[in-house]
Amino acid sequence: MKVLVPVKRVVDYNVKVRVKADGTGVETANVKMSMNPFDEIAVEEAVRLKEKGVATEIVAISAGPSAAQEQIRTALAMGADRGILVEHDGTLEPLAVAKILKAIVDKEGPALVILGKQAIDDDMNATGQMLAALLGWGQGTFASKVEKDGDNLKVTREVDGGLETVSLKLPAIVTTDLRLNEPRYASLPNIMKARKKPIETVKPGDLGVDVTPRLTVLKVEEPAKRQAGKKVGSVQELVEKLRTEAKVI
Amino acid sequence: MDHNQPHAASEETRMLRDLVAKFVERDLMPLEPAVLKREATGGGFKLSEEEEKTLLARCQELGLWGLDVPEEFGGANLPLLSLAAAEEEMARACVPFTIPPDSPNLHMMLSVASPLQRAKYLDPYARGEQRSAMAISEPGAGGDPAGMTTRAVKDGDHWVINGRKIWVSNVPRADFIILMARTGDGKRQDGITAFIVEKGTPGFVIEREIPMVGGRRTYELVFEDCRVPAENVLGELGRGYAPMQLRLNVRRMQMGARCIGMARRALEMMTEQAQNRVTWGVRLADRQAIQWFAAEAVMEIHACRLMVQDLAAKLDAGADVRMEASILKVRATEMAQSVLDNAMQTWGAMGVTKELPLQLMHQQVRLMRVYEGPSEVHRSAIGRRTLGGKV
Ligand SMILES: Cc1cc2nc3c(=O)[nH]c(=O)nc-3n(C[C@H](O)[C@H](O)[C@H](O)COP(=O)(O)OP(=O)(O)OC[C@H]3O[C@@H](n4cnc5c(N)ncnc54)[C@H](O)[C@@H]3O)c2cc1C
Ligand SMILES: Cc1cc2nc3c(=O)[nH]c(=O)nc-3n(C[C@H](O)[C@H](O)[C@H](O)COP(=O)(O)OP(=O)(O)OC[C@H]3O[C@@H](n4cnc5c(N)ncnc54)[C@H](O)[C@@H]3O)c2cc1C
Repeated sequence: MKVLVPVKRVVDYNVKVRVKADGTGVETANVKMSMNPFDEIAVEEAVRLKEKGVATEIVAISAGPSAAQEQIRTALAMGADRGILVEHDGTLEPLAVAKILKAIVDKEGPALVILGKQAIDDDMNATGQMLAALLGWGQGTFASKVEKDGDNLKVTREVDGGLETVSLKLPAIVTTDLRLNEPRYASLPNIMKARKKPIETVKPGDLGVDVTPRLTVLKVEEPAKRQAGKKVGSVQELVEKLRTEAKVI
Repeated sequence: MDHNQPHAASEETRMLRDLVAKFVERDLMPLEPAVLKREATGGGFKLSEEEEKTLLARCQELGLWGLDVPEEFGGANLPLLSLAAAEEEMARACVPFTIPPDSPNLHMMLSVASPLQRAKYLDPYARGEQRSAMAISEPGAGGDPAGMTTRAVKDGDHWVINGRKIWVSNVPRADFIILMARTGDGKRQDGITAFIVEKGTPGFVIEREIPMVGGRRTYELVFEDCRVPAENVLGELGRGYAPMQLRLNVRRMQMGARCIGMARRALEMMTEQAQNRVTWGVRLADRQAIQWFAAEAVMEIHACRLMVQDLAAKLDAGADVRMEASILKVRATEMAQSVLDNAMQTWGAMGVTKELPLQLMHQQVRLMRVYEGPSEVHRSAIGRRTLGGKV
């Protein structure tokens, strides 16, 4: 079966994010960008499915600026077979990305789309679910385990109360949680091989998708600085302060 | 701002840099505390056999092997710009490990080894199964190795070697050394021949271990009627000097890149401390004295990285780069020394302890100012080429 893996270009998780001086967003100029870590997990899972003989082809997709080719190339070096870049320079909201992905799914006909459960930039946690709704497919979100089970896919989900196991009819959507796997490094020989794998470039318009934002960002600000905590000498003092100062008990 | 991504880097270079950076974070950094402790307690700046074995296996798995070695020898044959990026990332960890195989000797052997020598020495060495050392310097001939006096005399199908070598690195673990000795009547470079001498050859004596700063060790070697078979002459008789100097400029580029890696680490640590430490009610980051340390570091790192990239690009294009290599060797080592020193200063007493890597890196750079040509020799060469002087 064919597997699609969307990969997002985000500010590297090691970078200390700074809000732009004009409050319109976060600074991305001259900042190291990487693949969203949850998407690395998604690529890894797809590659493992291919190694097990379950997946036959892996297509990595990124919607974003032309530089997002870098993230596709990284996915190719990890083991994806080819890439599609949906080139767009402005804001892309989750619904727009979901529509783009739907258009590609319609064209490619995959049996499975594995997405990160969220991207570490805006933490929306929406694209996978929206895509499932647009397609009318089943979804297994926050996956910590994915297994082929006959014609179905057995997905273990990390939910508040513990683990939930769902059985999905294919085609289906899976979104990855942190504990699904530990992504491999793209080894040097595979980096060299990735050079020769094809990346196709299209525009949202080519797919018939309108990506005009529906939300207006009013202001972006840094979280308030944390005040230094107080040290207390005993449990008694703690209870006393919770009662008289914090007034929470 | 991210100054670490060179503007014109190719996609492979960028991905290689990412790969090496991950290897450094996951595999090298965790070893650093043990390396610091070992050095601080007199155990030298080195890895245990076990640690080294694990790292070599990891490198093999990731294909981090022979980055600048031709593909027929299992290498990746990358452009030097990629090699520079890898070296820079590796040097952020204060751990004595380089991406295998350690290449200066490899390239000399690649260029001149006979088919027999290839099978017996070069192939296992390229696979990382054997190690080697290079013995050039003598008590009376260091920066100017053409003054060497160790002599080899032909006796039947053997050469008999007598003399003394000093400051030789990597001796205890070397399966063989490449030894430079005089064979002819020629003066200076002329008449110097390279020999492969196996460990344990009678007459090849490790005279003493010489402790150096930074936990490094070099060795003094004595050759007393040491008989080496004629087939172990490496390259042409009397013409060993040129192959020995081969890739001298690549090594200088690698040293420059390593200096940048160390300086980057120092700047990261300086920044961390400056943003956290408060004295007299003010963060160090808000003191002009410390801001200038940081500014100086950023400017110098940037300048040196441009020099490395320029040198790498010209080397790849086959240009004569002796001038650029000398400039980089001097500037990058002195830059790293100063940035490390300022980072130590920013950390106050903590900065001069052996619990932080800064002092140990500082000492490694101190050594670098002597080997591969002392700074003054390079400065003389730069001045001489500029002014058109003698010598
Ligand atoms: C850590 C370390 C590892 C080494 N490993 C090896 C090894 O594996 N194999 C090996 O053969 N050698 C090795 N060496 C030796 C190294 O190559 C020599 O130390 C170096 O070439 C300098 O030679 P020297 O020590 O004899 O100094 P000298 O040649 O005596 O020079 C001493 C000083 O005189 C000045 N000077 C000399 N010539 C000039 C000039 N022309 N113009 C201006 N000033 C000048 C410089 O300030 C220089 O520092 C190693 C050295 C070190 C420190
Ligand atoms: C070998 C040694 C022996 C010692 N022995 C003793 C001892 O016996 N007893 C004892 O009590 N202490 C001892 N000390 C501690 C020593 O007194 C402190 O290290 C020193 O006062 C600096 O303090 P600090 O290390 O906390 O650095 P910090 O106060 O954190 O300063 C770190 C750096 O910040 C910068 N900085 C700090 N303040 C300013 C400022 N106002 N303006 C500009 N820059 C600033 C400087 O670059 C400074 O080096 C010893 C230290 C050493 C290295």
